[in-house]
Amino acid sequence: MNPRKKVDLKLIIVGAIGVGKTSLLHQYVHKTFYEEYQTTLGASILSKIIILGDTTLKLQIWDTGGQERFRSMVSTFYKGSDGCILAFDVTDLESFEALDIWRGDVLAKIVPMEQSYPMVLLGNKIDLADRKVPQEVAQGWCREKDIPYFEVSAKNDINVVQAFEMLASRALSRYQSILENHLTESIKLSPDQSRSRCC
Amino acid sequence: MDEEYDVIVLGTGLTECILSGIMSVNGKKVLHMDRNPYYGGESSSITPLEELYKRFQLLEGPPESMGRGRDWNVDLIPKFLMANGQLVKMLLYTEVTRYLDFKVVEGSFVYKGGKIYKVPSTETEALASNLMGMFEKRRFRKFLVFVANFDENDPKTFEGVDPQTTSMRDVYRKFDLGQDVIDFTGHALALYRTDDYLDQPCLETVNRIKLYSESLARYGKSPYLYPLYGLGELPQGFARLSAIYGGTYMLNKPVDDIIMENGKVVGVKSEGEVARCKQLICDPSYIPDRVRKAGQVIRIICILSHPIKNTNDANSCQIIIPQNQVNRKSDIYVCMISYAHNVAAQGKYIAIASTTVETTDPEKEVEPALELLEPIDQKFVAISDLYEPIDDGCESQVFCSCSYDATTHFETTCNDIKDIYKRMAGTAFDFENMKRKQNDVFGEAEQ
Repeated sequence: MNPRKKVDLKLIIVGAIGVGKTSLLHQYVHKTFYEEYQTTLGASILSKIIILGDTTLKLQIWDTGGQERFRSMVSTFYKGSDGCILAFDVTDLESFEALDIWRGDVLAKIVPMEQSYPMVLLGNKIDLADRKVPQEVAQGWCREKDIPYFEVSAKNDINVVQAFEMLASRALSRYQSILENHLTESIKLSPDQSRSRCC
Repeated sequence: MDEEYDVIVLGTGLTECILSGIMSVNGKKVLHMDRNPYYGGESSSITPLEELYKRFQLLEGPPESMGRGRDWNVDLIPKFLMANGQLVKMLLYTEVTRYLDFKVVEGSFVYKGGKIYKVPSTETEALASNLMGMFEKRRFRKFLVFVANFDENDPKTFEGVDPQTTSMRDVYRKFDLGQDVIDFTGHALALYRTDDYLDQPCLETVNRIKLYSESLARYGKSPYLYPLYGLGELPQGFARLSAIYGGTYMLNKPVDDIIMENGKVVGVKSEGEVARCKQLICDPSYIPDRVRKAGQVIRIICILSHPIKNTNDANSCQIIIPQNQVNRKSDIYVCMISYAHNVAAQGKYIAIASTTVETTDPEKEVEPALELLEPIDQKFVAISDLYEPIDDGCESQVFCSCSYDATTHFETTCNDIKDIYKRMAGTAFDFENMKRKQNDVFGEAEQ
């Protein structure tokens, strides 16, 4: 296959502490699941290359780094993002009730544009028995906001790929309709030491 | 809270966030708190614009001509990064640069005889410049070659100059440089704010001129970089580094008391809870009784609807007004950025004039700078005290940062960070201390 276009997209994943954001990312990117819980340590950005139609997408997916615990997210996390995964734990009613706050935070922090900002909602841990958030309730929350809803399990790899690719697809559509870009001159710092001159 | 930490950090200014990042990367358990609901403290970028008006008590708020409030990110402290400076090294070693994007500042200008002149960024510009005469240029070029070749570890490069004892005044005399060239070199290249350096050993000045030249060579146009969305992105980038290595962040968290026992810090009390620690880092505002005042800085934030005259319509620039051009002791600086950096609404520019205060009427002191900026749509005047810690922290284990000075770069801030690190860790700072380590089951994919 020789897709013609290449696009870089930045996606972010947010939600209450402990809902499984990092596990979802690792299931999607690395096809692995770690049983032992630890607040995200060291991980911050994961990359995955996928092909949608005739476009090669490099997804750069930003995790919170544990800053969601006391609602101390940095604005660099949101800036320049092309889409957002909202996550909650179906066994934790509080994590579902916090979604309005998380969604509000994201919308308040992204740079506003005409095209609406793509989001998907993931209800994680459907592999566990003591469910607290009925599927219909979550779907209702999403319907009124035009956000796709996926019931997922990071542990058993249920619906994870479908959810991420739905978001990538929506983000790509929005990206393609915002092709004028006044950030073309920006530079990324690099360690190169070429060029030597004196004024 | 109600936990034990190795280090508690109070205030999320750039100095505190960099130290927090370094401590976390080195395996310390860090709690980082700020009484404000935003990152950055004194070094934040204020957004939306309505907040800036509120902060400066302009109660009517911004007029409609200012556009959308959220398009604004207004720095409280005007600074640029030296492209080859210490802060850039810190960004690269920690890889915090992956969270940020930069633009090269489009030019640097120096004020002379009531006009501004571009600081040459190429040999062609240097030859064409009116800043100095033709014969002076040849002597100046010899001087610059000497500086470029100078290696403090290689006496063959010294040409009879002793880096530890020869004063800079004597070096200038050796190359037969006139007063205009001396002023230009000391203030526009070595970026000294006063002339005190002339009678000091020349090594520091030579190194500062080298830093300028190396920074200029890195990207061309000017030696300065500026981050998109404002300087407030810098502390947040380092805060994120600390967080992903286990640092705990709490914003909107008041500090009721710092608890000392036998003259040593043991914890911090906030909203009735106590977090214990072995060491404390903070900015001066958290320990007013343990700092002393060391001067004042005035910063006037000006919103314009036009580029500054005679800058070739630059979207960003620096202007240096050497102190002897306006009969002062310290230089006046102007840092200008604009909508092109995502810090202002379309068509708007932000120019900040700043200097060390010398009289009881600091606004009058910066008038030569404001005249260059007219017409000004809106001015915000801030006069800030400069603080430095009374004690070095060795006994108390309380390590206080210094306030941000009037320089328009971060070299003094980085020196403060290195000094605090040395006192906390007992070993000299090494940039290798900032490198990320693989100490967890997760790893970052390659970019």
